[in-house]
Amino acid sequence: MHLLEVKQLRKSFGKIDVLKDISFSLDRGKTLALIGSSGSGKTTLLRCLNFLETADGGSILVNGETVFDAAQKGSISEEVIRQRRLHFGLVFQQFHLFPQYTVLENVKLAGQLLARAKPDYRGHAAQIERELDDTARSLLDKMGLSERVDAYPYMLSGGQSQRVAIARALALQPDVLCFDEPTSALDPELTGEVLKVIRELACQNTTMVIVTHEMGFARDVSDYVIFMDQGVICEEGTPDDVFNHPRQERTRLFLRHYYEQ
Amino acid sequence: MQLFLEQLPVVFQSLNIGFLQTLKLFIVTLISALPLGLLICFGSISKLKPIRWFCHTLIWIIRGSPLMIQLLIVYYFPGLVLHTPLWGGGESGRFMAAALAFSINYGCYFAEIYRGGIQSIPIGQEEAGLVLGMTRRQIFWKIKLLQMIKAILPPMSNEIITLVKDTSLARIIALQEIIWAGQAFMKGSQNISGAIWPLFFTGVYYLVWNGCLTLFFRWLEKKLSYFR
Ligand SMILES: Nc1ncnc2c1ncn2[C@@H]1O[C@H](COP(=O)(O)OP(=O)(O)OP(=O)(O)O)[C@@H](O)[C@H]1O
Ligand SMILES: [Mg+2]
Repeated sequence: MHLLEVKQLRKSFGKIDVLKDISFSLDRGKTLALIGSSGSGKTTLLRCLNFLETADGGSILVNGETVFDAAQKGSISEEVIRQRRLHFGLVFQQFHLFPQYTVLENVKLAGQLLARAKPDYRGHAAQIERELDDTARSLLDKMGLSERVDAYPYMLSGGQSQRVAIARALALQPDVLCFDEPTSALDPELTGEVLKVIRELACQNTTMVIVTHEMGFARDVSDYVIFMDQGVICEEGTPDDVFNHPRQERTRLFLRHYYEQ
Repeated sequence: MQLFLEQLPVVFQSLNIGFLQTLKLFIVTLISALPLGLLICFGSISKLKPIRWFCHTLIWIIRGSPLMIQLLIVYYFPGLVLHTPLWGGGESGRFMAAALAFSINYGCYFAEIYRGGIQSIPIGQEEAGLVLGMTRRQIFWKIKLLQMIKAILPPMSNEIITLVKDTSLARIIALQEIIWAGQAFMKGSQNISGAIWPLFFTGVYYLVWNGCLTLFFRWLEKKLSYFR
């Protein structure tokens, strides 16, 4: 069974159809790279997966469980949506760290709020808090940020900020971690450190959907590539298929355009 | 000089009493206008059109007309036009009318400041919270509130210092605040008449009180300067 299945997803903003019939699936531990020109709907797709937008048609399944079905949208409470979106994590282009919290607190906060809402929190509070702290610290260690745990976000470089954001998303152990152009807001010399930690995550079999404009990175980090154009999947396949033997004219055009830059 | 020294204790006592009334009006206004402003602010960004329209109109009327006229209307309208004297004739009636007018007026100004604060927080903060499984309530209390307070602190302290001075407008309905107390010595009161200096001296009270407030806000801003 596929870990993630997206079936015939559709989304329009007013008269513009941004996503038209998007279907794909992803197995546990695999990395999907999502490429395509500006405005092709990549961000919108990630936002639909994370319930920041409500798709107009189609369905989303995680582990065979339907987490979204457009046929019953509206009848699902905000509370249920909140539970279901925990299947997914999202790393934003602009990080969106919480400025008033330290790096460590940023990573811990959501887990604490979830734990405290559970009935078994009382009585085990000290132990649960300790575990949350340990998890957060070891994640930050993995991101190479053990020196910066007490820093506030404004003190960090862009690369460090993005690595904190990745740790923050990982702390909730989502089934699928999504990245929306994780390096586009960074200075060129800082993209490497972020791409490196994402590569490490791929090696450790984290299931990921990565939207990126870094074609070299997409080629060697991903197990599968989808090229989107104007709201449809124009071409898909292994990195070798898509990058070395593209069948569609539009894919060739897009890649040529990219390499010429 | 002899005379001045004799007047001093009498004047001070009188001004102190007036200043207490000024202070009372200031505090009551603040306590009611701060939450009222939040209510008007939420109304002005509400999804319901009639509520939004009502709040926008209220803000337009209150900010668009002089506070002094609003004071006069609140105080005299019930008695002179509706013939149902709401406030009674005494000092406590004048105080309640003044407090009501000030609260509505400052509630509207605060509402606009709050709105600015809410809108200054990038949408990404809310989205980051949502994606991390937080409820809207948690996002407001744990993430947005402190950022909002930090953002509104400078305009808020400005407005509150203006409020201190605006309380003097209550003189127009003869509220016995500090300006009224100072002026009394011109017309004649407690065997002192024709003395203008007590009126001038009231300025010192405002200065000292605003000085304290300025220090307080500076301290608060410093407290919140640990993040950006
Ligand atoms: N909230 C919105 N309201 C209206 N139109 C929107 C909205 N969000 C996105 N769009 C439109 O949807 C289309 C796809 O946008 P999207 O952000 O998904 O593209 P993208 O593939 O992520 O592009 P980029 O590479 O520039 O990030 C664009 O034409 C955009 O203008
Ligand atoms: Mg995008």
